[in-house]
Amino acid sequence: MAASSSSGNTGSGYDMPWVEKYRPNKVVDIVGNEDAVYRLQVIARDGNMPNLILSGPPGTGKTTSILALAHELLGPNYKEAVLELNASDDRGIDVVRNKIKMFAQKKVTLPPGRHKIVILDEADSMTSGAQQALRRTMEIYSNSTRFALACNTSSKIIEPIQSRCALVRFSRLSDQEILGRLMVVVEAEKVPYVPEGLEAIIFTADGDMRQALNNLQATYSGFRFVNQENVFKVCDQPHPLHVKNMVRNVLEGKFDDACYGLKQLYDLGYSPTDIITTLFRIIKNYDMAEYLKLEFMKETGFAHMRICDGVGSYLQLCGLLAKFSVVRETAKAA
Amino acid sequence: MVTGKRNNVVVLSSDGEDSDYSLTSNRSFSKPKSRLLVTRSNPRGAKKARLSGSRPHSRKQSSKFDDIRYYCEDFDEVYNGFKVSAGLQGSNTQGLWVDKYKPRSLEELAVHKKKVEEVKVWFEDRLRSSKEKFSNQVLVITGQAGVGKSATIHTIASHLGARVCEWNTPTPIIWQEHLHNSSTGINYTSKLDEFENFAERIRKYGFIPSSFTGGSKSSVILLIDDLPVMNGKAAFRRLQNCLHLLVQSTRVPTAVLLSDCGKTDSADLTARCFEELQLYLESAGACKVAFNPITHNSIKRTLSRICRQERCNVAADQIDLIANASGGDIRHAITSLQFFCFKPDPMHSLSICDTTTISSREKPDVLRALDDGFSLQFGRDESLSLFHALGKFLHNKRDSENGMELEQAEFIVQERLSRLPLKMHAPEKVLCQAHGQARPIADFLHENVLDFLSEEAIDDAWAVASYLGDADMLLATFRGMLSRYNEAENVLQSAAASVAARGVLFGNSHPLPSRWHSIRRPKLWQIERSLLHNKNEMAKRRFDGHSGINLSDMSIVATEYTPVFKWLGYGTTGGMQQVSMQLDITEDYFDKMKLEDKESETTDDEIEDW
Repeated sequence: MAASSSSGNTGSGYDMPWVEKYRPNKVVDIVGNEDAVYRLQVIARDGNMPNLILSGPPGTGKTTSILALAHELLGPNYKEAVLELNASDDRGIDVVRNKIKMFAQKKVTLPPGRHKIVILDEADSMTSGAQQALRRTMEIYSNSTRFALACNTSSKIIEPIQSRCALVRFSRLSDQEILGRLMVVVEAEKVPYVPEGLEAIIFTADGDMRQALNNLQATYSGFRFVNQENVFKVCDQPHPLHVKNMVRNVLEGKFDDACYGLKQLYDLGYSPTDIITTLFRIIKNYDMAEYLKLEFMKETGFAHMRICDGVGSYLQLCGLLAKFSVVRETAKAA
Repeated sequence: MVTGKRNNVVVLSSDGEDSDYSLTSNRSFSKPKSRLLVTRSNPRGAKKARLSGSRPHSRKQSSKFDDIRYYCEDFDEVYNGFKVSAGLQGSNTQGLWVDKYKPRSLEELAVHKKKVEEVKVWFEDRLRSSKEKFSNQVLVITGQAGVGKSATIHTIASHLGARVCEWNTPTPIIWQEHLHNSSTGINYTSKLDEFENFAERIRKYGFIPSSFTGGSKSSVILLIDDLPVMNGKAAFRRLQNCLHLLVQSTRVPTAVLLSDCGKTDSADLTARCFEELQLYLESAGACKVAFNPITHNSIKRTLSRICRQERCNVAADQIDLIANASGGDIRHAITSLQFFCFKPDPMHSLSICDTTTISSREKPDVLRALDDGFSLQFGRDESLSLFHALGKFLHNKRDSENGMELEQAEFIVQERLSRLPLKMHAPEKVLCQAHGQARPIADFLHENVLDFLSEEAIDDAWAVASYLGDADMLLATFRGMLSRYNEAENVLQSAAASVAARGVLFGNSHPLPSRWHSIRRPKLWQIERSLLHNKNEMAKRRFDGHSGINLSDMSIVATEYTPVFKWLGYGTTGGMQQVSMQLDITEDYFDKMKLEDKESETTDDEIEDW
């Protein structure tokens, strides 16, 4: 796996983003979402790709899957038989009407079962007018051209298009899956690390492979060593351990200590939004009684809403901690 | 002129295939028609090629009706048919199943028999009898995407031995090119322009079918599927005028297909426009047939037929799942099936154990079987993957014994607030697997949760309702707004989803013994949709009545004018014109209203300020 993906290693003097450097070239190497990837693998082998919509949160391998699939399907013909348009390209209604249609009419000699592929990355940013214009083109040229769309939310794709495509959903990667890939990269790049460092990277990434690799590279090029401290310095998020301590203090009834912890964080210059985002994720994974967890989440949600409304003050955060304490007091067994 | 244009385009060497096809099609029917009907340029050929090429069988069927008339075409079709079948034999798996298994006879259509009959009779009447007998020659077919609107037309046409001519735009030049060679006299034409030209030609010359099949009266059905997109009032007006013209002047049975977007809750502009357009067409004298989503059973029948023909064995319950997930969209169901049939080889050991685990686990609980994520990634209808998550939350299965050790270590919760440990993953994980958005989850839970509470537990209902209310509050900022992928919003969304799910889990402290409940769609959505519709309707009336000046408040229109008009007898939908006239008369009345309105507004403001 490492061997196949580090083929771009030639210019090691350059700092190529690792996201690009270790982007899998084969469908087999794609991490996570096994069921979907299996089917894509079969398509890569047998050809006759149906029209596809891949939808899912960022950093889960949608674009990588499509590119790898196109490469495997078309091989040397990739250049002439693939039209790739992403949000940075002009994809207005005229472009769809002209460029894509022209491409669909273009004659390319391909082996049986292979078709030209139009890749529309970030398709949810296309206007609905442009998508409408795509509708007929997709149908008329279906025996020579197939479409692959990638998007974050499938509901932004108009229904006629959805109806013409098979929908493949991608979900966030699990921590193990990210860890597996990180280890490959770490070994290939000979990054010195401690396990806690990788754990921290996984925490900051939150199921987003791209972010994980970026954070890893940033930490490595900044400090040449991956440990917890460095990771959080680079990613500039409130240290989760610190936040975790705060929550534990609240649960143990030490309100003063919790407030002190909060003050420290605030004095470090983190904005209330940063703090509360981390706090929410800590609470989500913190092991506590069901009632407490529910109430804590609710209060955090409300506080977050207020902060988003513009009341981003230290007082709100203190108030949140106080509310936690109240919840704890009411729930406490007599 | 045409070649000059094409030379500027990069991908030009392209149409070997096209010209090849258009040669054949030209031979049979079309030189004059392609002039008359639509376009001057070449890509049209490709379109026709598809028409004749992709459905050779239907053409053959039609030729039964009149052998001599279709002699030329038959020849042509044999040629085409030969080509197509050769392509198919080259590789068995080639082609989309949607095209491969196009319905070829009326029986194969999955659309409801009555609707098909209705459309068929309509066309039959107009094709068989003299032109003057019917004043309206336009049929509007509406329905959500993928319910077989165009398939019905094509099939019926071949059944009746008529030819379908589709309106189709040529490939345009793009704007930059237009700027580049603006001096050469090639004009930029938008799709709307093309459509206008088309309607104009129809009006001037009619659509003369006799001109291209050697004088014999061949029957032709004109199909307009791909209406131009309109943004803005001006474009909409133009399209309206075109369609009006078309409805008035066409002498060929014409079918206009409008696919309405099922969910208009996004208040999408185009969706509303289509709705208006549909009403407009009707008022201009077009017939309307609305297609419903295809029933579960007929989708299932079609899918299993395809499975038989493809010789891929897909279990019945998986077909059931796909049919369910498609939400009445047969095209999507077939596409999903094709994708689903890309099964890994038996060599992949993992896939085998995947299926076996499913079949072994299937018995205890249907929801559990869904849980393995087998075909959950597909399906347009997100609610299916949502359903099993909802089922988990609603059934609320918990361990029977108390595993309190963990909590005891830290903190003891009061008896009435403590719950047994859950028999599932953390709710957040379940939510993540369900690919659900927060809003539908909260709505679904709200709609269904009461079924799962025990009769006496009013306290539970209270707790659940209060948590769902909180979740709704957290989501309030998203209402009517398109959700973006943004870190801040993400937190709010997931907080809301968690509160809703956990609130239901926690609140339901006396879960009923599990039994079968169907999960309903939230009625709320329907209500909201009709609310929106009403509002739009009212805004439109107000707009029409005042020629664009907003004189009165919406609430006044709703509470005072509408009842009065009803009382006067103008309340029916057809009376729009009259209503606007009436409004003109009562202009001064409005002015008075407006004054009062202002006053009340100011008082409102004051109250708010205080």
